[in-house]
Amino acid sequence: MEAMSYGPSGAELKLEDESFLSDDFLRQLINVGEVDILVGLPTHNNAKTVGSVVTTIRSGILRGFPRERAVIINADGGSRDGTPELVTGVSIDDMRPASNLYALRTLHSISTKYDGGAGSGGALRTILAAAELLRAKACLVMSPEAAHLQPEWISNLLRPIYRDGFDLVAPTYRRHKFDGLLTTNLLYPMLRALYGVRIREAYLPEFGFSGRLGSQFLGQNGWHDGNDQAGVELRLTLAAITGGYRICQSFLGEKEHIERRSSDLVRALRQTVGALFSALETDFPLWSTVTGSKPVPTTGSEQELLLDPIRVNRKRLRERFSTGVAELQSVFQSILSTSTLAELQRIARLGEEEFHYPAELWVRTVYEFAASYRKSVISRDHIIQALAPLFRGRVFTFLVENRNASATEVENNIEGLCLEFERLKPYLLQMWKSRE
Amino acid sequence: MPLNTDVLWYKDAIIYQVHVRTFHDSNGDGIGDFPGLEQRLDYLQELGVSAIWLMPFFPSPLRDDGYDISDYQTVHPSYGTLEDFRKLLESAHERGIRVIIEMVLNHTSDQHPWFQEARSSQDNRRRDWYVWSDTDTRYKGTRIIFLDTEKSNWAWDPVSKSFYWHRFFSHQPDLNWDNPAVRDQMWNVMKFWLDMGVDAFRLDAVPYLMEREGTNCENLPETHEILKALRRKVDEQFSGRMLLAEANQWPADLRPYFGDGDEFHMAFHFPLMPRMFMGLKLEDRKPITEILQQTPEIPPSCQWSLFLRNHDELTLEMVTDMERDYMYDMYAASKSMRLNLGIRRRLAPLLNNDRRRIELMNGMLMSLPGTPIIYYGDEIGMGDNILLGDRNGVRTPMQWNGGWNAGFSIAEPQRLYAPLIQDPVYGYPAVNVAAQKESEHSLLHWMQRIITVRRSTAVFGRGSIEFLHPANHRILAYLRRQGKDTVLVVNNLSGTAQAVELDLRRYKGNILIEMFGNNIFPRVGDLPYLLTLGPYQFYWFRLRRV
Repeated sequence: MEAMSYGPSGAELKLEDESFLSDDFLRQLINVGEVDILVGLPTHNNAKTVGSVVTTIRSGILRGFPRERAVIINADGGSRDGTPELVTGVSIDDMRPASNLYALRTLHSISTKYDGGAGSGGALRTILAAAELLRAKACLVMSPEAAHLQPEWISNLLRPIYRDGFDLVAPTYRRHKFDGLLTTNLLYPMLRALYGVRIREAYLPEFGFSGRLGSQFLGQNGWHDGNDQAGVELRLTLAAITGGYRICQSFLGEKEHIERRSSDLVRALRQTVGALFSALETDFPLWSTVTGSKPVPTTGSEQELLLDPIRVNRKRLRERFSTGVAELQSVFQSILSTSTLAELQRIARLGEEEFHYPAELWVRTVYEFAASYRKSVISRDHIIQALAPLFRGRVFTFLVENRNASATEVENNIEGLCLEFERLKPYLLQMWKSRE
Repeated sequence: MPLNTDVLWYKDAIIYQVHVRTFHDSNGDGIGDFPGLEQRLDYLQELGVSAIWLMPFFPSPLRDDGYDISDYQTVHPSYGTLEDFRKLLESAHERGIRVIIEMVLNHTSDQHPWFQEARSSQDNRRRDWYVWSDTDTRYKGTRIIFLDTEKSNWAWDPVSKSFYWHRFFSHQPDLNWDNPAVRDQMWNVMKFWLDMGVDAFRLDAVPYLMEREGTNCENLPETHEILKALRRKVDEQFSGRMLLAEANQWPADLRPYFGDGDEFHMAFHFPLMPRMFMGLKLEDRKPITEILQQTPEIPPSCQWSLFLRNHDELTLEMVTDMERDYMYDMYAASKSMRLNLGIRRRLAPLLNNDRRRIELMNGMLMSLPGTPIIYYGDEIGMGDNILLGDRNGVRTPMQWNGGWNAGFSIAEPQRLYAPLIQDPVYGYPAVNVAAQKESEHSLLHWMQRIITVRRSTAVFGRGSIEFLHPANHRILAYLRRQGKDTVLVVNNLSGTAQAVELDLRRYKGNILIEMFGNNIFPRVGDLPYLLTLGPYQFYWFRLRRV
């Protein structure tokens, strides 16, 4: 195997502060040595699912990359349910041959505990640091909850990096048309409009990245700023875009729908929209000059929508929208323009049959939030929380509009919203500058 | 130096494999001969070998490099006379070097008078010395070994108008070992050479002696009965002589060839060799430890025979399809390097002439359980010539010096039995014995040194092995123990420096003495023993309580 060096200058390891890695973990990394493939698995009490996930990862490695040096690295947030033991149990070595698999070489599956608790960027930071120390050529982060994970996913996410020289591989899935609503109604269209790149799943539950992108991101990301820890996966995508790295998408297949509690929405908004809003400030020189958008190379389908019925409590969505608009009026007055707020208040009074949150109003709302996020007397976290009821109202309209829509029609509607975000981008610039 | 009288001499031996034709030509006809080999015995003694294994030197049409024998009881005239052989034998013994010769039991040349008689008439008295059939459909379950050249194990004999059985080339008809006359005659052949004083036989192609319908015609119980009978006769009449099995089989299938210590003394460990190359390329000990863990225990009087390269292709029969593909891609990128199911290359070219890797592989050869065999020329890093057909590319003349014909022969170069290696890297001006003798740091001197160290203790030849399993998979570490002697071997299979922690707590209080320089390393304590190794570096440590 040929040695490779990484880093923006193509030079040497530039881990400035690897002290966050424990001595025991470093010892394990020494034993692993240089690798071609690294699969990172952030976990926190995932014993119910992680066993099958990690077994499938192992199969994927052995099938797709039987000759390559590979390692599975579990960054665990302090599980008490035996998650790390399930991960390390899939190692293959001369003491533990895989009973039903043939492996040409040793496969290490190691685990370490990271600081920062569940959901923080600490897991990704640990994985990135390990990737840099092990000089991994192609890396992959998998969700420990990926119930539909297939061995082929491993190849689909890694091959574009390992064989074709891409730096970031974002997944696309076969999803229910009402799954991933935050992605389809906000993240995808906004990121596309601002950065000019059509990446469908920018908030990545599973993704592949090159060693050099990981190394660059590890060095530049503000790891010590607690607020920046949220949404670190999205920040990696943005780093790939702004750094001019080669990006592609890879179709993985079916993505399971996971029922979320309503309180999860605020957390999701913090990790995604918050991260995106936060990045806009530093990335202004780039996104302010971008017009239009371009697709990225995609292997397999771009996105497939399923039409199976899915239960959504629309009534509750509209109620929480109306309640939110009423209760958060004073907050909205600091964030939104008068006309936008007035329009929101108007539709909040509409009955269920008449209720409609049009695309243009939604885009203006989001853009005004983004501009406000930059400079506001209100805390950024409160701004993100305030967006939640409005998002629910928008979702209500999306569900109604697409209740009987075919997959193609849903896609067309999403495309329409994207174009609206692109069309109104000057409005964001105007708002942005008005707050300077 | 008198011969070691220990009947288990083969356990401590360093065997050097050589073809008479390739080593030294004493009469200027372009072909190596017995007197030439005798002249070079001092070289072998200096190298430290304690036995030479001679490839077939019998009269033969030489269509399979002498494995197609046409007379078992004399020598090929190109190599000298029977008297020359006797003199070689005496001279070798005087130097403490034993002589192992080939014995091809399974088949003869189709030019052998026995076969000529057998085919002459269906009523001939020797007709039943071979395996005949009216059809080519018997023994359907039998694989074809030489896939590149043979389509069937049956060949049509136009003389007697019937098919004859052959497991190898069609010009090598298999003897019919069901026939008691064949058994008697072949023992007489062996006895002829044992009476002369040869120390051992390498019995060629032993799994294939018998045929039975409904089987794969390999490793049959009847074959083992025959071999045991031969062993009994050897033990009864020639104590201290040795039988070495050539049986290219999986370890579990090889085990019966040792019987209860009453069949073969030694057998080649074929599956280990490709896995050593694989482990080196993968930088992972797994292939090596896996095959050795699958290797069954053998009776105390028996021994494995280990080798890195030999006169044949680097055989890949005993690997999986995935492993074979990997080996081809890594070691034989050019299709011309491949032959049958193997790779026809020498050690040095296989390892890109990387001195560190050559040393590491030899280090493992000398320290894993078994008796090492060095293929002639590999001790100086000779190259090969893949443009020569079949396996002739690894059978070129020995390179003694940078002069005329590499010091091999005074003949006109075009009369040599095979062209010398002449490329800039491996050619005889660059790679030869004389030059390496002059250089203190040559591979030849290094080989002498490692053989000396290996022979300084019986632990390598006779000791047990216990693998340590450090978490760093690039490190292959094991303990060899024999009585009170314990040696720790640590090999770095990687091309980069490695750190490794070894669990040696059982040896707490011992110091480690590095066996090449006799330097002392820190005492073993309660903590894991930390070692760092450079690229492809290995250590042999003697453990000693002080």
